[in-house]
Amino acid sequence: MSPFKVLVVDDERDFLESLVRRLQRRSVDAAGVTSGEAALEHLKVHKADVVVLDVKMPGMNGIEALRHIKQLYPEVEVILLTGHASVESGVEGLALEAFDYLIKPVKLDELIERIMEAFDRRKVVGELAGSPPPDQS
Amino acid sequence: MTRPYANLSRRMTIVALLVTLLPLNGLGLSLYYYYNYANTQALKEELRIRALNRASAIELFLAERTALLEVLAHGARLTQLSNESELANLLSIMNRRSWSFVDLGIIDKEGRHRAYVGPYLLKEQKYLDAPWFQQAMQKGVYTSDVFLGYRQVPHFVIAVKHENGSDSWVLRATIDSDVFNRLVRTAQVGKSGDAYILDRQGRLQTPSRLGGKVLDPAPVDLGSVAPGSSVVERTTADGRQVLTAFSWICGGKWLLVIDQDPKEILGPLNLARNVELAVLALASLFVIVAVFILVRLFIRQLQTNDAERAAIDAQLAHSARLVSLGRMAAGVAHEINNPLAAMSELAGEVQDILVPSELAKLEEGEVVGENLERIQNQVERARGVTHRMLKFARRMEPHLEGIDINDVLRESYSFIEKEALFNNVKVQLDLSPNLPLIKSDRAQLQQVFLNLMDNALDAVGQGGRVRVSSRADGSWLMVKVSDSGPGVPADLAGRIFDPFFTTKDPGQGTGLGLSISHSITQRLGGSLELENHPGQGATFVVRLPNTPPDTP
Repeated sequence: MSPFKVLVVDDERDFLESLVRRLQRRSVDAAGVTSGEAALEHLKVHKADVVVLDVKMPGMNGIEALRHIKQLYPEVEVILLTGHASVESGVEGLALEAFDYLIKPVKLDELIERIMEAFDRRKVVGELAGSPPPDQS
Repeated sequence: MTRPYANLSRRMTIVALLVTLLPLNGLGLSLYYYYNYANTQALKEELRIRALNRASAIELFLAERTALLEVLAHGARLTQLSNESELANLLSIMNRRSWSFVDLGIIDKEGRHRAYVGPYLLKEQKYLDAPWFQQAMQKGVYTSDVFLGYRQVPHFVIAVKHENGSDSWVLRATIDSDVFNRLVRTAQVGKSGDAYILDRQGRLQTPSRLGGKVLDPAPVDLGSVAPGSSVVERTTADGRQVLTAFSWICGGKWLLVIDQDPKEILGPLNLARNVELAVLALASLFVIVAVFILVRLFIRQLQTNDAERAAIDAQLAHSARLVSLGRMAAGVAHEINNPLAAMSELAGEVQDILVPSELAKLEEGEVVGENLERIQNQVERARGVTHRMLKFARRMEPHLEGIDINDVLRESYSFIEKEALFNNVKVQLDLSPNLPLIKSDRAQLQQVFLNLMDNALDAVGQGGRVRVSSRADGSWLMVKVSDSGPGVPADLAGRIFDPFFTTKDPGQGTGLGLSISHSITQRLGGSLELENHPGQGATFVVRLPNTPPDTP
């Protein structure tokens, strides 16, 4: 398994399930939930290093979820992934320290690349903050 | 001028003319009437005074003669006056002093003409029934109205009675009518003035210059004449408007009438009035001309302002439409991107599972693998479309670089070359050499040019002609794409840059091409315009700022 944990949040079940399975097949420790609220619940119990977050969801939307995640778990990196490309949500997401803003559909390899980059940054930030990176098993 | 402007113009003109011409002409006309009134009043007063003067003169004339006759009648004895040679002597003495007596006569109380000197044969005539004789016998002194008498000539007499106990007689004198008439006529003024005397029956006592002979009835209603002296305006029998002065004389026995045509007297006075009228007319004319010019200027300015505002409004509406179009495009892209992403993942997962070694085990595994690959390609293709839509929606900032417009035009042409060949359309590239490089966005310009050329090909159909030209024009570079097609119908020309407006058959065009091209050229600081010639083709003109690229 990968040295990092990924949580995918998307209300599109077909997309979510398939993506999670594909990540796992590539030895990425991935889990999936279908709403912002579920993501916060999940993070309470399970740790995650990178969250791939849809922006437009029913209930709590991606930007709101991002704000909560960054508040509760500042070390977690978030990649926004959306079908909608409004400049405002992009700018807002980046202002809330999302790692990146990607537009669907995105190639899996590309997504994994971005996830790894995000994790790299998390490691650096974590080291600077003094907390040891998760052990490399 | 369109209807609302014509209406406004008419209303403004009417109001302006009313507020200027009404007071001006009100003032002018009241002055005019005041002049008229004042002049007429002055004339009336003058006429009345003249009538009074003349009346006094006439009364004096008669009173003198009556007094003289009274002296004679009372002072002389009958035997003396009955002697005709004495009487003739007396008449000649009196007339030497121009007492204007025609004859003298003595009538005894039986009415017999005892003695007579004068031009007529009247001696021994009986006057017992003559009204003047009766009146003289009754009153002592009597001046008669004009009558014919035995001599059958109009005349009037003054009769004085001598009374001495039972013996009484009457001294009678006939006044010379010529002298008396001349005296009355001195009241006439001007060519049209008239003066005459009427008796109580309305008969002329002296000839009227225009109204008739002595004893003719005169067309004056005596009943309406005020006592004393007065002036009225009246119409004469021959239809002239005259001022008439009346003055009763001899205690209401006779009426002196003076007619005066006011025009003759007022003529010179009315000159001032007419000058005023002319000035008024001239001033009114100036005002009318000024009003028309001012209203015209105002309306023209208003039209210009309205046209400018309409152009700005249209521009704003156009921008607003583009913005909402962008939002819609973003929404549509989102709705498509989500299923695309799912499709991509689902197919990808199958690909993950069916790795080549697994595929080999399947019957026709090759086809399965190939189809999965094709699904990914189609997703990629759709992604290209939606991302372009998003790009449009986001109005991404142009990416600026030094560009050779001709190069972009040639490249754009290369995309449609095959289609033109296939449709037998002759495309003429008329590119000005040595155009400067400009700072612009190559990809977006290409989109514009390609769109215009595409439209041109569609417009001309089989065997048509398309001309693409470029040239520098001051601070602009101009690209023209002309076609030999039917042009744009005039009523649609204003809408061709609207999003979703298309003249093509359903399914043939999105109606976005020109709208996007328009917005691209504007974002690049230029413009896209239509030079339309319905029936002779359309020319689209792209204008780009001739901005040199930044030198590194």
